[in-house]
Amino acid sequence: MGKPFVLRIMTPASVAYDGKALSVTCPGSEGRFQVLFNHAPLLATLDIGRIDVETEDGGNIVFATGGGIAHVLWNEVVILADSAERPEQIDCARAQAALDRARRRLDHPTRDVDVERARAAMHRALNRLKLAGG
Amino acid sequence: MAGLRDIRRRIAAIRSTAKITQAMKLVAAAKLRRAQEAVIAARPYAVNLKTLMAHLLERVEEDRLPIWLRQDTGNGVLVVVVSADRGLCGAFNTNVIREAERLITDKFSEWHEAGKVRVMTIGKRAYMYFVKRDYELYGKHIGIVNNPNPAVARDIVEEIVSGYRAGTFDRVEIVYNEFKSVIQQNLKVDTLLPIPTDVDPVIEILKRKRKTAVNYIYEPSEQGVLDVLIPKHLRFRMYHVLLESNAAEQGARMTAMDAATENAHELIETLQLEYNSARQASITKELLEIVSGAEALKEGAGA
Repeated sequence: MGKPFVLRIMTPASVAYDGKALSVTCPGSEGRFQVLFNHAPLLATLDIGRIDVETEDGGNIVFATGGGIAHVLWNEVVILADSAERPEQIDCARAQAALDRARRRLDHPTRDVDVERARAAMHRALNRLKLAGG
Repeated sequence: MAGLRDIRRRIAAIRSTAKITQAMKLVAAAKLRRAQEAVIAARPYAVNLKTLMAHLLERVEEDRLPIWLRQDTGNGVLVVVVSADRGLCGAFNTNVIREAERLITDKFSEWHEAGKVRVMTIGKRAYMYFVKRDYELYGKHIGIVNNPNPAVARDIVEEIVSGYRAGTFDRVEIVYNEFKSVIQQNLKVDTLLPIPTDVDPVIEILKRKRKTAVNYIYEPSEQGVLDVLIPKHLRFRMYHVLLESNAAEQGARMTAMDAATENAHELIETLQLEYNSARQASITKELLEIVSGAEALKEGAGA
């Protein structure tokens, strides 16, 4: 069994996780990666997706994230996420509404619709719904 | 002396004003608590983001950040003023507006004379002030200051960054109220862009402790990480400013309304005394009239 390291997952509005972990798997923008004890110093950007945390007692915690940055240095992992929610915290109705709105915007783009942003909103909503459902 | 009825009417009017100010105070107190909680909740993120920025700024070559750190080229300044949408919060709005104006006429007077100062107003009060005067406005945001959220901050920052990139201005200063305590607001002027490289004392200490150079693995690349981190940093700075200003506003309003309620009660007390003595005087006068009337009758009967 691996050794534990310090993991902090925080968003502008809250601290989602603050404690020890055996591993954390992140949706890196270059593909998913896992951080274990004694990982080399790393700075990585994260995409929309899921963060998997293996806690010290062997449990698993999942977070839906809207992207962010992971900073690994000397067995201290800090994830600065735009959002990080446990599946049970996800507001499905709100995510569904966001999805519908984004789809509408993408289907009928007007001049003031920022397509990039609508697409990102759609991905975030899909990610939330997927994780909340399973 | 005012008539009895006038005094009674004034007392009633002041009493209803006191009720309103009391209610406003309670509402502000509830909003303040929520605003404070939001400020506190944002703190861990703030500290970690700041640390991360410092790590990067000391490591990364300056030429990697051509835009964000470039020095003044004389294009001009954007002054962002964060006020409230509504009044009735003491000197909250006046202070921030005056500070912004002082900044423009003192520190940036040369630019101002050359017409190179633009003003972005956040909050209705600042807009109403600056739109009427001889300033060039660069965007306004009304109706958002009491509900600060990252999405709003993002919109504001995008607007600022597009002007900065286009070279409309090459320096961005934010003037706002920082929440110190319920009864105290600190006026602050922060430089948003170019990103200040003078790190604060906490980071200085941190730097001294960690002399050893760290070779990071960057994913996707150093530039890629910076491209994500810097907008994040700017957005969060703006979000933080909005949070602070909102908390400060609620605190200021609560204090102002508390003082107003107290003044109203004092006024009522004074008026009540005046009313009592006026009432007493009229009773005495009536009595006198009755007595003297009776005397007159008696005298008439005796004659």
